[in-house]
Amino acid sequence: MLNVQNLVKIFNKGSVNEKTALDNVSFNLNKGEFVTIIGSNGAGKSSFLNAIAGNFPTDSGTVIISDKNVTNLPQYERAKYISRVYQDPMSGTAATMTIEENLVMALRRGEKRRLKLAIRNKDKDFFRQELRKLGLGLEERLTTKVSLLSGGQRQALTLLMATFKEPELLLLDEHTAALDPKTAEKVLQLTCDVTKESHLTTLMITHNLDQALNVGDRTIMMHEGRIILDIQGEQRKNATINDLLKMFENASGTHFHTDRVLFS
Amino acid sequence: MSSLVVLGTTEQGLMYAIMVLGVYLTFRILNYADLTVDGSFTLGAATAATLITSGYNPWLATGVAFILGSLAGCFTGILHTKFKITPLLSGILTMTALYSINLRVMGKANISLLRERTIFSDFESLPYMQEYGVLILALLAVIIIGFFVYLFLETEFGLALRATGDNELMIRSLGVNTDLMKITGLALSNGLVAFAGSFVAQNQLFADISMGIGMIIIGLASVIIGEVLVGTRTIARAVLAVLCGGVIYRGIIAIVLQLGLVATDLKLVTALIVILALITPQLRSKFSLPIKNV
Ligand SMILES: Nc1ncnc2c1ncn2[C@@H]1O[C@H](COP(=O)(O)OP(=O)(O)OP(=O)(O)O)[C@@H](O)[C@H]1O
Ligand SMILES: [Mg+2]
Repeated sequence: MLNVQNLVKIFNKGSVNEKTALDNVSFNLNKGEFVTIIGSNGAGKSSFLNAIAGNFPTDSGTVIISDKNVTNLPQYERAKYISRVYQDPMSGTAATMTIEENLVMALRRGEKRRLKLAIRNKDKDFFRQELRKLGLGLEERLTTKVSLLSGGQRQALTLLMATFKEPELLLLDEHTAALDPKTAEKVLQLTCDVTKESHLTTLMITHNLDQALNVGDRTIMMHEGRIILDIQGEQRKNATINDLLKMFENASGTHFHTDRVLFS
Repeated sequence: MSSLVVLGTTEQGLMYAIMVLGVYLTFRILNYADLTVDGSFTLGAATAATLITSGYNPWLATGVAFILGSLAGCFTGILHTKFKITPLLSGILTMTALYSINLRVMGKANISLLRERTIFSDFESLPYMQEYGVLILALLAVIIIGFFVYLFLETEFGLALRATGDNELMIRSLGVNTDLMKITGLALSNGLVAFAGSFVAQNQLFADISMGIGMIIIGLASVIIGEVLVGTRTIARAVLAVLCGGVIYRGIIAIVLQLGLVATDLKLVTALIVILALITPQLRSKFSLPIKNV
């Protein structure tokens, strides 16, 4: 489904600030697989997702999605295949536009935007039905501007926008990290439900090691721009958080270091 | 004020409102402060005046003004998106270039349209149109253009344009070429501005190389006045607001002139209006006044 080969990304090449964010990363993801990604701060996790989504050109390597080489496609042309939810609840929606306007833009992801009235009545019914699944009462507020929603509501909306038109690949970058624990739990639950229901192929970055082991069906660890660990199946099932930290230390030669690891 | 002054002010206000709608498209919809406007307004006037005095049909001349204004907007957009020049500088560069181009187009610093055939003289020669022809034509133009801009902003393309100004990262990750959106928005905006310029020239019966100076500030002032007085809760409301803003601004200027201010002080007054509008939110929060939810 997703095939990444020898991907290299160097920021500020040739300057004193040169930084290798991705160091020859190769990675294969099967259709329907849900992979969690962990790693220290600055390990290159976000850069990895950004490179797949095409936020920036890479220095070498290839990205293949569904047998199509997308390495040289700009971000907006990869949108056909990819949906994303970012950490910041503000970044996934347009604040000055209404809930239904945001939804309809997501419904047209990867399509040509035409000179045709954007929202039709049958869309509204569909939106209400989808919003009802969130259980936040948003189905009654289609014409509310998104700026009036809370962070958690916005993130739930973003998740819906990213999934109701099924993407071939769903990229989640610490999408619950900025939410309060209760809301985070709820958004994570929604994530699990929708990915299971639609068998979405998913990459999810998290700093929560418990989440990393218990959500999805495979875990990779990144360090200094490389994937240093890749576990699944029995090995993963039997692993504890302590095992995970040990594995990290053995593979990287350093301690797992991040400002946000949650052990609960 | 005499009724003649009121009529003239309203007519002018309606023509300027078309320019204000153009400024709204960049300033509010695209979140892009576009200084091209100063040049494209004159470009519209210069184009129309030159074509009319060369014997071309004034309706055709007005259309050509729109097209050339759009091209100027495209140019600014390409400078910004393809060559990564800042919005402000891209606009200034086009505006500066347009000064020379406008002089080339006109061949001299001003052109008189006295006794020429204009869209207004055409319209006034229709039955019942002698007295209010200018007003009715300007009003028709504003209603038609306002309606179509509103409809446009509710289309799939229009939504993508609005999202580009709101959250570029988001709409790009939904598959929209945001460079193309910005170029299109700037083109449409400057097309409208030039169109308004051609109207104003045909109404006042001359085009002048300096008639666009300060137009961007007039546009901003009008947008802000309209938004404050009419509100922006929906797109339809916002479009109506900026159109009204254009007319009200002209009204304020007319009153200020009646009060004895000389015409050359107007730019100062306009700048003060914009400054006041821009600092009001900060003053409000400083003195912790609640911000009105318009
Ligand atoms: N746009 C950029 N320009 C320059 N350097 C960058 C850029 N984006 C990331 N980097 C650098 O690349 C490295 C990897 O960053 P990245 O954001 O991918 O890390 P991360 O694993 O997501 O970290 P975190 O857990 O803090 O989110 C870091 O050293 C970072 O400073
Ligand atoms: Mg990150």
